[in-house]
Amino acid sequence: MMMEFFGGWLLPAIYATGCLLVFGQPRHHWKIAQITAAAALLATLFSVVGAGVWLHFAPAEIDSVGLTLALLVAVLGWVIINYSSRYLNGEPGQLRFVRAMLFTLTAVATLVVSRHLLVIVLAWTGTSLGLHHLLTFYRDRKTAQVVAHKKFLVSRLAELCLVLALLLVYQSTGSLTLDGLNAYLSTLDSLPASLHAAALLFALAAILKTAQLPLHGWLIQVMEAPTPVSALLHAGVVNIGGLVLIRLAELISLAPVTQLVLVVVGSLTAVLAGLVMLTRISIKVRLAWSTCAQMGFMLMEIGLGLYELALLHLVAHSLYKAHAFLSAGETVSFARVNDFTASGRVARSPLWYLGAVAITATLVVGSAAAWELFPPGLVLPPVGLLIVALGLASLLWLEPGYTPGLLIRAVLQVLALTQLYLIWHLLFAGLAPLPAHPAPPLVAYVVLCFGVLYGSQVWLRCYPDGRFARALYPWAYCGFYLDETFTRFTFKIWPVKLSSVQAQTLANRNPVLQGEVS
Amino acid sequence: VNAPVTTKIVDDVALHNAIASAIETIAPSWPLDRMIAVNPYWGRIQQTFEEAAAALSTVAGSPLTLPFEHYREAWRNGEITGLDLQQALTESGTGLTPERLIAALDRKYPAPVPVPLLSDLLDRQRNLQREPSWCDSITHQVSQFCAAYFDRDQANWHPDQAGRLYASWRKSLVLDHSIPLLMQAPYISVRARALARDPVQQIADSLARLELPVRDWAIYLQAVLMRVSGWAAWCAYLRWQARLEDRSDETLVDLLAVRLSWETLLDDGVRCADSPWLAWHGRWQQQERHIEDAATQLHHIWLRAQELSYQRSLVDRLRTAPAVEMIGQPAVQAAFCIDVRSEVLRRQLEARAPDIQTLGFAGFFGLPVSYAPMGTPARRPQLPGLLAPTLDITDSTGNPALDAGITRGRARRLRGMHGWRTFESVPLSTFALVEALGLVYLGKLVKRSLPGNTPFTSNDSLGLDAIQARTVRPVLDEATAGGVAGQANIAAQVLGAMGLKDKFARLVLLIGHGSQNRNNPHRAGLDCGACCGQTGEVNARALAGLLNSPSVRLQLRHSGIQIPDSTHFVAGLHNTTTDEVLLFDLDELPASHAGDAQHINSLLTAAGASARRERAHALGLGALEHKPEPLLRAVRARADDWAQTRPEWGLANNASFIVAPRSRTRGVDLEGRSFLHDYDHRKDADGSLLELIMTAPMIVTNWINMQYFASTVDNKRYGSGNKTLHNVVDGRIGVFEGNGGDLRIGLPWQSLHDGERWLHTPLRLTVVIEAPRAAIDRVIARHENVRQLVHNRWLYLMRLDGDQIEIYRDRRWQLLPR
Repeated sequence: MMMEFFGGWLLPAIYATGCLLVFGQPRHHWKIAQITAAAALLATLFSVVGAGVWLHFAPAEIDSVGLTLALLVAVLGWVIINYSSRYLNGEPGQLRFVRAMLFTLTAVATLVVSRHLLVIVLAWTGTSLGLHHLLTFYRDRKTAQVVAHKKFLVSRLAELCLVLALLLVYQSTGSLTLDGLNAYLSTLDSLPASLHAAALLFALAAILKTAQLPLHGWLIQVMEAPTPVSALLHAGVVNIGGLVLIRLAELISLAPVTQLVLVVVGSLTAVLAGLVMLTRISIKVRLAWSTCAQMGFMLMEIGLGLYELALLHLVAHSLYKAHAFLSAGETVSFARVNDFTASGRVARSPLWYLGAVAITATLVVGSAAAWELFPPGLVLPPVGLLIVALGLASLLWLEPGYTPGLLIRAVLQVLALTQLYLIWHLLFAGLAPLPAHPAPPLVAYVVLCFGVLYGSQVWLRCYPDGRFARALYPWAYCGFYLDETFTRFTFKIWPVKLSSVQAQTLANRNPVLQGEVS
Repeated sequence: VNAPVTTKIVDDVALHNAIASAIETIAPSWPLDRMIAVNPYWGRIQQTFEEAAAALSTVAGSPLTLPFEHYREAWRNGEITGLDLQQALTESGTGLTPERLIAALDRKYPAPVPVPLLSDLLDRQRNLQREPSWCDSITHQVSQFCAAYFDRDQANWHPDQAGRLYASWRKSLVLDHSIPLLMQAPYISVRARALARDPVQQIADSLARLELPVRDWAIYLQAVLMRVSGWAAWCAYLRWQARLEDRSDETLVDLLAVRLSWETLLDDGVRCADSPWLAWHGRWQQQERHIEDAATQLHHIWLRAQELSYQRSLVDRLRTAPAVEMIGQPAVQAAFCIDVRSEVLRRQLEARAPDIQTLGFAGFFGLPVSYAPMGTPARRPQLPGLLAPTLDITDSTGNPALDAGITRGRARRLRGMHGWRTFESVPLSTFALVEALGLVYLGKLVKRSLPGNTPFTSNDSLGLDAIQARTVRPVLDEATAGGVAGQANIAAQVLGAMGLKDKFARLVLLIGHGSQNRNNPHRAGLDCGACCGQTGEVNARALAGLLNSPSVRLQLRHSGIQIPDSTHFVAGLHNTTTDEVLLFDLDELPASHAGDAQHINSLLTAAGASARRERAHALGLGALEHKPEPLLRAVRARADDWAQTRPEWGLANNASFIVAPRSRTRGVDLEGRSFLHDYDHRKDADGSLLELIMTAPMIVTNWINMQYFASTVDNKRYGSGNKTLHNVVDGRIGVFEGNGGDLRIGLPWQSLHDGERWLHTPLRLTVVIEAPRAAIDRVIARHENVRQLVHNRWLYLMRLDGDQIEIYRDRRWQLLPR
């Protein structure tokens, strides 16, 4: 009998304690929050080390995905709470903020370490409710209310899917634990219809909660809350959908329709949101569209059965995006750097850009082949490598002008990034569930999508005022009109009810007294 | 027969005037990387303060004072005395009684509401608690389009930027279905096709269609433009830059046409009894305009009373000041920027050593330059925004061959960086970036979260290695300066303006200033305004180099300025966040001066510690007030903190500008509220220096004073709101507060308010000049801007004469009673 390692549970336990303390002892809210966050981080670090040691001496069942995510949440929680404690200095309602933040973190932490589907779904709902309070931190902001309402609707819809999925799972397997589900699945050759439906419902919930097109609008517009809330949402909450699906990998791997839906929705979102991102003129909104695209990419990887890449993507994106949001104030410094580096662009033909892909692909595939020689059992998915090659190709565009020195530098960069990618891949392959083998048509579809994206990028750079760029721009600029349609729809079926203060415009005011509204 | 033609001509003139009156009231706003203070009421200084207040209340609903609760506080804590109130009442010439004014403090008055537009009327007919409003949707559409049109740094894909703003907007509106979809108004796209091609024609069409009487045009167009006042200020900046280069720029007209077109697009053309148009017209005519309303008047009297309270204490301090003439040769002379933050450090420095002479002078040190870092395409102005640069500063090691090598190497490295930035911005690449490098951000997150202690370094050394960064120095370009003779000429002018023509000390410090902070889009607003929102490092170092040059000194002798060989100029930078002073290029200092440098350094360190202690309380570090070391660590950590929204208080609470020799103010605690400019009228027989001071630094101080004033009294329009919501637009043009809305200009709430109270008290600037009456009168008579500022009460003018103080009131000098 293998022992189960429960170290990960320290994290939600500590957050819950902190949360209760803040509700009971509201005077030193920041002190409590900071100590809680630091203790949670330390405890989780010990757990991770402890798990390693434990594994060394006794055979144990360690939830490596849960521990990895717990460490991620602990780091983010610590960074964001520390940041907020100074950033929000002087704001009214800080106690409210701390309470909602600790509550949300408790819910997220519970979710990541739990292996019981009912707990996961409840914690997920709790996360969403806690976040709602953070998103409406500035209560008088109209847009904040409208957006939080949109998110509220989407989340409840997702939870409806989840409840149905739970019922189906329980009905089929008689259990709501992941282990029970997996044990049941291991006895099957193919899924019964009810589990197909459950898988699809889980996927739909994930799609709704990871802000995939066309119901992505709430994610884009939540800049109406303080920066650390955006950081938490984009780094720690929006990706939960990916985590839950990775938890359900065994189920998803057996459900081709679900895989198809994930791949289609994910890759379309990745491509379209990527194009929209190019038109965005404010930093935070651009970052939000980027999140939307990245989440699409992650779901696509899950649909392709590349769970280790999806997990890597989830964790890496969290850290990347948390940093990007928290340091969004440096945008002006970056623009100043542009003044130094903007040395004109050399016009290139599309062939040049194709050549760049050919070179990068050679470098990436060569590196991967070399790596596969050494560690036994390392399998690198060709589709992943291809996308990496397409992505790294821009390093070889050499738009400011070609010199041998710059080319060598770029090649070295491509090689270095490829090795890093392969190292992470190897590391996460040890943590994530076993990959499934994607269906060839899905792979072909993904290759087509990203080929089109690369082609569009190149075309826009070669012919920025050409017919393609001009004709497509209004669509990309307007986000393909998806969100307006959805907003209109929510106004029609379940409109947000604003208070009279929230509803006012410049001239259309209730008798407001001078100085009352800050 | 020619009657219609005449009407047409009359209408054309009226139209032209109405457009001009709308666009000329808008003051410019500089981009964030060059954020200098601007008086946002600059376009209205031809009106009196009270007239402007009435107009702004009408067209924008914008107040020019704080609400009563602020004055109630000042009244209750004794800051405003009965005497101040009585005098303010007397000046106001109203028949009000103090009792009435005091009673008003406890009453609540409605905030002013702007005149209605048709879009407002349509909003009134909507259920805004359940539906999006027209006003907000229009602002969003116009603002997002402007951002896309003006963007150079953020997006990678743009609308047509080659044509004019209006033309590009009109073209895009026909294809943009987002508002028709959101507002369920499919007619918008159809009506958009009917918009005129020419913006002025469209304005004329709109006015005709909306059937506004000609006499209302001006006020209507002002009200329309104020609905997008942030972007209007950006367009005004483009116009300002064009005018500095003797060009013209009509983008403001385009913006006016864009916003006005929306009013036409919403008009269904129905004019019957219950049509929106008729309802709007009714309201428009009801609007009482230009009527001095009672509440506004009460507010203004309280504002004046608070100003009088400050002026009383200032005058008291100046009167009791011991006049300290410096006798003989000072050991060190130190020139600082006129900035209010210099006052604290100067006072502390002087208190430590009686043989130190400090000077106040605009921090660009009189060099009208732009700076082009060597080997880069970058170039930026380093002078006040009022002026156009005529000279260049670039970097050099002093060795042309070495320079050429560094230039080549830097250009290569910068090209490499450019490639990396492309990689970071391409959507497909970001997927690979995240998977390969995302985990690396763990290190950055942890590092940034721990207390930092990064030294204050210039970010102009990008692409240079450490050794190169140390060896290159900013130098005044000899070619644009006109050779050594030209350089000497510039040096003579600068020294003359500073009043430094003789009695040179062994060490002369030229100290610019800059603010150390992180992750702050508005950091340029804390740097030196006289250097166009940059630190003063480049100007100070270039000037020190110029004045140390033997060939320049030789030439200077011909103009009668003898700089002794024993005199050495040293540039420095006052870090206004930590109050530390960094001295540059000390390796060039002859060995004979090493001791002097060491001595002044230790004095600066001690003075900095005292200055920090003085500022500790306002920074919330009161507990460390008497613990110098922990206090220094705390302010350094603050300067390096990415989560700090209040690194320092900048120029908050500025209130006066004193133009006099330092001997008049030496030893007086001016609480960091005064700009100090050295001026000795005995050395300025023809008054030309005074003219320069009153037309340049005085205007600049008015701009700063009014920026803080406006951002405080109306943070919605003239301030940029909450930093926690800031979302940088176009890489540098400005910020949105949250998702969108209008571009936000001016100072953030956090720069003015600590969460409990305003750290800036909005007072109009009190300018105190020691100069003969006639000399000041001459400048007032000769310069319209100065005249308007003074006559229309945008600032107060006082005159020091021996131990008497006069105030300029009602266009004449009046002696202030003791």
